[in-house]
Amino acid sequence: MQDYSFNEYFDRFPVAMAYVPWQHLTNIFENLDEAYHVGTIFPELEKPFTGRRCVK
Amino acid sequence: MWSYEKRLQYPVNIKEPNAKLAQVILTQYGGPDGELGASMRYISQRYSMPYNEVAAILTDIGTEELAHLEMVSTIVHQLTRNLSMEEIAESGFANYYVDHTVGIWPMAAGGIPFNSCEFQSKGDAITDLHEDMAADATLLKMQHMFKASYATSHIRTSNVLQ
Amino acid sequence: MNNRMKSEREQLFHDIGVISFVVTEMNEYLDTHPTDKEAMEYLNHYVRMQNQAMREYAMKYGPLRISDADGCNQNEWKWATQPWPWEGGC
Repeated sequence: MQDYSFNEYFDRFPVAMAYVPWQHLTNIFENLDEAYHVGTIFPELEKPFTGRRCVK
Repeated sequence: MWSYEKRLQYPVNIKEPNAKLAQVILTQYGGPDGELGASMRYISQRYSMPYNEVAAILTDIGTEELAHLEMVSTIVHQLTRNLSMEEIAESGFANYYVDHTVGIWPMAAGGIPFNSCEFQSKGDAITDLHEDMAADATLLKMQHMFKASYATSHIRTSNVLQ
Repeated sequence: MNNRMKSEREQLFHDIGVISFVVTEMNEYLDTHPTDKEAMEYLNHYVRMQNQAMREYAMKYGPLRISDADGCNQNEWKWATQPWPWEGGC
């Protein structure tokens, strides 16, 4: 698995394809009890739902 | 092959039965965006993956989804155990109850039984991974919708299901 | 959420839940980052804690894994006879 930076290797990202940014080990929750309740040990993956739905 | 640990990934202790809620939650087990579909999807797709790392992640997530479907089944079980026929009929759960009583049977909220049409396994790595991203998004959406529409103080499951 | 103090059994059971969750998370991270040494050390630490906690629980209260069934000092097959997870509690 290669980790290409989007800016540096722009020509390796052809159009009409989907890309997923690569996760790096930056932080882990210090309070693991909290992580257990939140549902992930990685704070960057904590994405709580705040709205209802997309309305024009 | 699989092992089983005799515990839920996150505890479920429901104090008040609620058959009406049970039939909605059941879709998170056997419905089109449910945990059984999630597990079968990942476990089926892993065979044709060209990289060991991808086979690994699909195996491990597929296995974890089995733990999730166990939690969902437990919620349904605890919401319906010890209810009387009258309580169940009043709740609107009667259609399910007549066929299954308090048994757990995987199906969608609309009544469609769980089946493989609820997931895809195309044998192409990129296609299958797109299917996985779409599936996870629908599952998350459904869970968020539950929280927003059915805010229940007596059900407190962890976001572990996400 | 009740505020009463957890019993020793409940506390150990809770810890097993947290530790095992941490192991699962780091396991899945390593699947796609197999050369991340820091992640591997983190995982090793928690796997050891998990094994220790599981053995302790099995010895004191009954097995949570078949592989811990030998640590139980049992005169009945607790794996089958003790309550099942969907009944609630530990």
